[in-house]
Amino acid sequence: MALDAEKIRNDFPVLQSQPVIYFDSACTTLKPRAVIDAERNYYEEVSGCAGRSAHRLAKKTDELFTTSRERIAKFINAKSDEVIFTKNTTEALNLVIRSFNYSSRRKIVTTPLEHHSALLPIMEQKRRGIADMALIKTNEDGTFDEFSISQTIDRNTALVVVHHTTNTTGMRAPIEKIIKVAHDAGAAVLIDAAQGVPHSKVDFRKLGADFLAFSGHKMCGPTGIGCLVGKSEQLEKLDTFIVGGETIETVKLTWVKWKKAPKRFEGGIQNYAGAIGLGAACDYLAKIGMQNIEEHEKKMGKKLMDAINSIPGSTIYGTRDAGKRSSLVSFNLKGVPHHQVALMADSLSAIALRSGTFCAQPAADSLGFSQGAVRASLYLYNMEKEIETFEETLEKIAKLG
Amino acid sequence: MKGLRFLIGTAHLICMVLCLLALPVFLFLSIFSAKYRPLARRALNCVVKKVTLRPCETGLNEELKAASIAGLMKLHAPTAAFVNRHFEAFSLFFTLIFIASFLITAQGLYNFVLYGNCNGPEGGFCIYNGLQNKAFLKAPGSLDGITAGNASAKVVVIEFGCYSCPYTKQAEEGVQRMLARYKDSVYFVFKPFPLPSHPYSMEAAIAASCANEQGKYWEYRAALFAAQKDVEERGDVAVLELARSLNISSQFDLCYAQKKFASFIQQTQKEGQECGIYGTPTFFVNGKPFVGPAEVDEVEAEVQKLLGSS
Repeated sequence: MALDAEKIRNDFPVLQSQPVIYFDSACTTLKPRAVIDAERNYYEEVSGCAGRSAHRLAKKTDELFTTSRERIAKFINAKSDEVIFTKNTTEALNLVIRSFNYSSRRKIVTTPLEHHSALLPIMEQKRRGIADMALIKTNEDGTFDEFSISQTIDRNTALVVVHHTTNTTGMRAPIEKIIKVAHDAGAAVLIDAAQGVPHSKVDFRKLGADFLAFSGHKMCGPTGIGCLVGKSEQLEKLDTFIVGGETIETVKLTWVKWKKAPKRFEGGIQNYAGAIGLGAACDYLAKIGMQNIEEHEKKMGKKLMDAINSIPGSTIYGTRDAGKRSSLVSFNLKGVPHHQVALMADSLSAIALRSGTFCAQPAADSLGFSQGAVRASLYLYNMEKEIETFEETLEKIAKLG
Repeated sequence: MKGLRFLIGTAHLICMVLCLLALPVFLFLSIFSAKYRPLARRALNCVVKKVTLRPCETGLNEELKAASIAGLMKLHAPTAAFVNRHFEAFSLFFTLIFIASFLITAQGLYNFVLYGNCNGPEGGFCIYNGLQNKAFLKAPGSLDGITAGNASAKVVVIEFGCYSCPYTKQAEEGVQRMLARYKDSVYFVFKPFPLPSHPYSMEAAIAASCANEQGKYWEYRAALFAAQKDVEERGDVAVLELARSLNISSQFDLCYAQKKFASFIQQTQKEGQECGIYGTPTFFVNGKPFVGPAEVDEVEAEVQKLLGSS
């Protein structure tokens, strides 16, 4: 069943209160009323802490928190104790990369197309002399050098860190192949799915990755909440990360008995409202259907590509094949700086775009926009007529060049 | 290479200019609203970075450019395209205007502080005069000065004036008319207030007092106003020649050479400053102030009113 974007827009209060064409969903998505209500309900009706006190509000919080974890686990087809709440994808990636055991294998394999949130912790491990870093080669159009995958991942590889979908071109990495090569070599795989989980059906069990990281706010959920999903046996191998209240079974001054995952990684009072909101976001997306969302985005993405392509002097980064990307396009207009394009689109037609290097400078270098580009990224609430306005606005701006 | 250096230099300048223009505007607005303070900080950061030859990182220059081009585009797209293409030239133009207006403003303030008028010794319309206000003028406490009319009259008109000031000269016709009409019913006191902005104004004031001593004040006063430019240019020579042309006795020369009335004039000057005099002529009619030649008619109307009501 095709998605009715016009009807869906009624669920998003911001779209009712602001005359905005929101094309910046890769940065953060808008939030539906269901999510806002879930968060507000926690603060207005419950507002306790989970797993500590025994009073009714604490019990209710525990119940909401636990069921949210279950709802999220169901959304990505994982077990609930495989879902660890984090602040965001960045924290989830840091957790794995910094807590992984590199004593027998030192190499972390990644790609130049990764977000800084994945690249920087790896570079830090390298700087500290804890691990080595190796890169799978990619081409200027954002595709992978397939030969380089099997060449780079070897028996010395401890961990492979790769994106599901890039935030620079919206292209999907060949993760199935990477996972297979990595597992054949005995390496674990961490998938940065910040741009994957919100836009397509991601089945953790079927995918076979060892770890998967994503953020709530990029999938209609609240900010300040994210998840690391990990296979139980892999989670148990990780060292501790942030420790504190609720991460332990017993503490003596000379020894500690840690809890099992996910509690071992959730130190201190958690973002209950965020977790409950993310649970509501998963339910919301599931109700609409990830297949429907993916189809809608494919259709919108193609129209978006065509619109930008039709502008004289436009350059699109990454593959020109709309079928190989999500509804995210990074581009530049000849003679008009990227920040100016974004600022003017906002001034002229209230179009929200992102401009810059999108927290992925090595990726920008690799794709040919070191100085920056403009990014338009859509979601389930975007409509064709918005793309038409976007095209008309771009035409006007392009004439400045 | 030279071309590249020029381009980088120009880009640098444009960035600085936009921030430099924005800085005083946002600083001013931030006095009234906190929301402008981050913008002022960004502008300041940008200016500091540019002055120290580092890249402006705040992006404020880009935002300002985009906002201005977008605003123009809504009005007239071809003009927006033209301005966008020649933005560097427009920026440079506005920079020069900005620098020029800054210098002119600074000069005006300097003149205002030194001469009491932003145009300097020449005088003329000065916007800063708005800073001064008749409401702050205080009537003088004494009737010391060069006097005329009825000393026991109920209506007293005091004038602070400068013989070298074109505005005092401009008001003179009205003053003389008043003196002629109300010589029996008004007591008129002239307090010399020579403005340092006019060359030889002090000399002219001393000379007039010396002429007063010789009983030739009003003739000499009229001659001084008539030869205002000549006195300004030739000073002592012109002052003495005027006395000779009026057949004032040689006692005048001695009085003038000894600067006999210098301390008297300094006293009236000090009195004027205490009263808050900010321009000549300034009149007080029974304590009520009137400033400038344009208000001479009002002075007369006030006199009439007071005489009529008494």
